[in-house]
Amino acid sequence: MSMPLSQKLFLYVLLTVAAILVFAPALLALLMSFMPSEQILTGTIIPDSLTLDHYRKAFERFPLMSYLLNSLIVSLLITAGQLLLSSLAAYAFVFLEFKGRDTLFFLFIATMMIPFEASIIPNFQTIRDLNFLNTYTGLSLPFFAMAFGTFLLRQNFKQIPKELKEASEIAGIGDLKFYLTVVLPVAKTSLVTLGVYGFLSAWNMYLWPLLATTDDSVRTVQIGLKQLQSQEQLNEWGVIMAGGIIVVLPTLILLFLGQKKLQKGLTEGALK
Amino acid sequence: MKKRLAYGLLGLSIFAAGCSSAGTEAESGTAPKTEDGKTVVTFWHAMGGQAQEALNETVADYNASQDEVQVNAEFQGTYEESLPKFHSVAGTDQAPTVIQVQEIGSMSMINSGNIEPIQKFIDEEEYDMSILEENISNYYKIDGQFYSMPFNSSTPVMYYNKDAFKAAGLDPEAPPKTYEEVEAAAKAITESNPEMKGFALQAYGWLYEELLANQGGLLMDNDNGRSDTPTEVAFNNEKGKSTFEWVKRMIDAGTFANYGTNGDNMVSGFLAGDTAMFLQSSASSRDVIDNAPFEVGVAFIPHPEAEERQGVVIGGASLWMSSGKSEEEQQAAWDFMKYVQTPEAQAKWHVGTGYFAINPAAYDEQIVKDAHEKMPQLKTAIEQLQATKPSPATQGALMDMIPEERKIMETALETVYNGGDVDEAFNTAVEQVNAAIEQANAARGN
Amino acid sequence: MSEAAVSIQSEAAELIGKAKRKRRIQNTVKGLLFLLPSIILFSVFLFYPMIRTVYLSFFLTNTSGMPTVFVGFDNFINIFTSPLFQDSLKTTFLFVLYTVPGTILVSLFLAVLANEKLRGIGLFRTIFSSTMGISVAAASVFWMFLFHPTMGWLNQFLSVFGVEAIGWLTDPKWALFSVALSTIWMNIGFTFLILLGGLQSIDSYLYESADIDGAGYFYKLRRITVPMLSPTLFFVVTVTLINAFQTFGQVDMLTRGGPQNETSVIVYSIYRDAFVNYQYGTASAQAVVLFILILLLTLLQFKWGERKVHYQ
Repeated sequence: MSMPLSQKLFLYVLLTVAAILVFAPALLALLMSFMPSEQILTGTIIPDSLTLDHYRKAFERFPLMSYLLNSLIVSLLITAGQLLLSSLAAYAFVFLEFKGRDTLFFLFIATMMIPFEASIIPNFQTIRDLNFLNTYTGLSLPFFAMAFGTFLLRQNFKQIPKELKEASEIAGIGDLKFYLTVVLPVAKTSLVTLGVYGFLSAWNMYLWPLLATTDDSVRTVQIGLKQLQSQEQLNEWGVIMAGGIIVVLPTLILLFLGQKKLQKGLTEGALK
Repeated sequence: MKKRLAYGLLGLSIFAAGCSSAGTEAESGTAPKTEDGKTVVTFWHAMGGQAQEALNETVADYNASQDEVQVNAEFQGTYEESLPKFHSVAGTDQAPTVIQVQEIGSMSMINSGNIEPIQKFIDEEEYDMSILEENISNYYKIDGQFYSMPFNSSTPVMYYNKDAFKAAGLDPEAPPKTYEEVEAAAKAITESNPEMKGFALQAYGWLYEELLANQGGLLMDNDNGRSDTPTEVAFNNEKGKSTFEWVKRMIDAGTFANYGTNGDNMVSGFLAGDTAMFLQSSASSRDVIDNAPFEVGVAFIPHPEAEERQGVVIGGASLWMSSGKSEEEQQAAWDFMKYVQTPEAQAKWHVGTGYFAINPAAYDEQIVKDAHEKMPQLKTAIEQLQATKPSPATQGALMDMIPEERKIMETALETVYNGGDVDEAFNTAVEQVNAAIEQANAARGN
Repeated sequence: MSEAAVSIQSEAAELIGKAKRKRRIQNTVKGLLFLLPSIILFSVFLFYPMIRTVYLSFFLTNTSGMPTVFVGFDNFINIFTSPLFQDSLKTTFLFVLYTVPGTILVSLFLAVLANEKLRGIGLFRTIFSSTMGISVAAASVFWMFLFHPTMGWLNQFLSVFGVEAIGWLTDPKWALFSVALSTIWMNIGFTFLILLGGLQSIDSYLYESADIDGAGYFYKLRRITVPMLSPTLFFVVTVTLINAFQTFGQVDMLTRGGPQNETSVIVYSIYRDAFVNYQYGTASAQAVVLFILILLLTLLQFKWGERKVHYQ
C-alpha cells in the first residue's frame, strides 16, 4: 500500500522542519566551535572565516584522551552493573513469590523519588570512608542499583508466560539456570535498550564524578567540559562549544550505530 | 544453593574488580613523597578556562625552581563545588594540603577548624607580609592575623565603548565619575543611537557590595564584621538604597540594559554594541579589550555625587593551609605559597590572567611593563585599588553567610530591573538578610 | 468416612502444607538472594542518605554539615512560612506542568511522524533521538546562546518578523518557560524513542481493519493509537514526571534560580542551601518535603493511571 505523492511530500516537509528545529541547538554549537572568538562575541550568525583553534585549545586544556577513556570505563561498568542487578531484582519480583514482595517492590520504586542532589553529600562521605575516592569503583558503585531499570525489566519479564516457568520447575531446572538460559535471552532486546539508556546517562553525569575524584586519574570527560569554563573571567565560548561537541560526539555515534537495535528493542514490546 | 550464593557474591566481586587505588597514600605524621623523595603538596583550585593555564604554569615553574617539593594542582570544580568536598575530607588523607577559597568563604573556613592559619608560619620565620599590596592585605588580615595567603585578586571597574562616546558627542577620555554623570552619559548615548542602551549592571551581589563600599557604606554591623560577628545589616540607609534608586532612574529613562544575573551575556552584549557601559571584574579586561571591535575605555566605578569616593573591596580568592598535615608537608606548602607571591611569579600571573599582582613589585617587571604599554587600560584597575582609602567599608564584610546575602541582593536588584518598587524590594532584602544573619548565628550556637 | 481415611487425608494435607511452607521459605530465601545486591546498594546509597536527611532536617548544621543545634520541627516551620519556599513549590509545579505535557506531546507528534514507512526515515529517527545523547551540561550551554537577549538565534529570528526582543532568561515572565523549553528539548530524544517503540508494536492488523471500515486519520489516532499506546504512555509519564520534579542541571547553568527566584525549583533550592549557604538542616527539610510530594503524586498516578491504561 503506498500513499499518494502529495501526502508523502507533506510528510517529508513536516519531517524536515521538525528535524531542523530539533537539531538547531546542536547545529549552533557546531557552527560556533569553528568561529573565531571575536565573531562569536560580537554576535555574528554566519561567520566569514572558520578556524580549528578552539579544538586545538580544548585538546590542550585537559588530558582529553584519558578523560574519554575514563568516561568509557565508568559508563561501561555502570551499564554492566545496572543490567546485572536490575535483571536479578526484576527476576525476583516476577518469578519468585514471597512474603512482602509487593512492599519491597514499592520500596524500590520509591527510591526513584529521592533526589540525587539531596543524597550526594552522605554518599560522598560513604565513598570516602570505603576508601573509594579516585577509583572507578567509587564512580560507578552508587549507580549499580537502579529502580528505573528494575521497573522496566519487570514489566518486560511479565510478558514471559508463567507456564514456561512451571514447566521448567517440573523439569528440575533451577531458578538461576532459568534466569540465565530462558529469561535473559528472551529479554535481550530490552536489556540492550536499558543498557544504552544506562550508558548515556552515565556518560552524561557531572556532579558525582567531580565529587568522587580529587585528581585527574579517573576523571570523566564532563568534568573536562566544566574545566573549560572560567569563573571570574570571560568565557571562551568557542573552546567551550568545541569541548561540548567533543563530549557529545561519542554518544551520538553510539546512538547512530545502536539506532536499529534500540528501536528493535523497543519494538519488541519492551515496555508493555 | 552454593551456586546461588556465589551468584549473589558475583555482583560484589565486580565492584572489587573495578577497584584501583590511585594517589599517594599518606600515613599521619609523615608527608607523602614522590619516588625521588620530593615532598608532595596537593593543591586544590577552582580555576577553569584560561586562568587554569596560567595557574598550571605557575605550579610548573615552582616545581622546576627547586627539587624538594612537588606541587600537584588539581581542579575541583567551581568555588561552590570544591568547598563542601573539602569540608568532607578535612582531617583525612584525602584532604589537600592547600586549597583555593573564594574571599567570601573566608569566615566559614576559619569557623570550620579545618585549617592552619598561615600566621603561624609568618611568625616562625618573621616573614614580611608588608611586601604585599596593602589594600589586598587589608581584606585578608583578620583580627591582626593572616589566616590565608592572598592569591587571585580583582576588583570591578567600569568598561565603556569609546566609539559610542564619540558618536554621542561625549569626551571618550573623560568617563563619567558619578551616578549622575553615568545617567547623563547613558542618556546621551541612547539618544544618539536608539539601538544602544547606555548602561548595564549585572544583578550580582558582589557589584552591589562594591558600589556600597565606594560610598563608604558598611554591609554589616560591628564594622563589617571586623570587630565582632555581625548581628544585623548596616546598609539599611541612603547609601544602601542609592544604587537601587540610580538603576531605577535609568530604567525609567530607557537607558538601562537588563542582562539579569548573566555576566557573559552582558559582556557579549557590550561587545556587540548593544550597551555602552558596564561594571565587571578587572580580571576580564584583557578579554574584553582583545575581543572588542571598537576602542574600550576602563574607568573607576562610579559613586553618588553626594558621597565621596572611598574605593573598592578586593575580590577573588586566597590559599588556605589544611590542618592535620605533617609539619614537613605544611612547610613545603608554605614554601610554595611564598613562591607564588614573588614578583616574577606574580608578573606572569598578572599578565596571563588579568588578576592583580598581589605583590606590587611585580609591576616593575619587564613583561608587565610591556603588557601595560600595549594595553594602558590595564593600569586603571591598579590605580583604583591603590587610591582606595582603608576603612572597614573598603576592607570588606566578613561573615559566613555572605553567599546567601549576595543571592538576596541579586533577587532584589532583579525585582527592580523588572519594574518592581524600589522601597519594597529594598526593604524585603534587608529583612531577608537580617533573617539569614540570625539563622547563621544560631547555627554556630552563638 | 472412616477415621483412617480422615487421618490419611489430614496427613496428606499436612504434607502438602509442609511442602508449600517449605517452598515459600525457599522462595523467600531465593528472592532475597536475587535482590541482595540491589538491596545492599540501595541501603547504602539511597536509604542511608534518606535517613540521614530526615535526621538532619531536625538540626542546624555547621559548614561541614555536622549537626550542631537540635531545633525540632523549626526547619519545617521555617520553610513553610518562608515565601521563598512557597514560591519554589509553585515554580516546581508550574515547571512540571510545562514540561511533562510538553515533552509527551512533542515526542508523540515526532513519533507518529517518524512511524511512517518512508525512504530515509532512519535518518530522521536518529535526529529526533539525538538529544538523548547530549548531556545537560552541553545542552545548557547550547541553549544559553539561543536565549541570548540580542545575538541569540531566537531573538534574531523574532526581529525578522518585527517582534520585540524577549528577555528569555531575564524576564521573570519568560524565564521558567525558557528553562522548560530547553528541558523539553533535552527530554525529547528518550521519550521519542520509547513512544516510537510503542507505536511500532501496535498490531498493523488493527489499522488495516480500520482502513477497510473507511476510518479517517484522526479517528484511528484517537481510537487505536492512543489506547494501544497507553501502557507506554503511562510509563513515559511516570518517568518524565519524576525527572521533572528533580530538575537541577539546566536551572543551575541557565538561570541560577533567577530572575527573582522565578526558576528556583525545589532541587535547585536544596542545592543552594546545602552547597552555598551551608544550611544542611533547611536543605534536608526541603528534601524530605520533596520526597513525600513525589511519592504521593506517584501513588496517585498509579491509582488513577492503572485504571485508564489499556492492557492488551
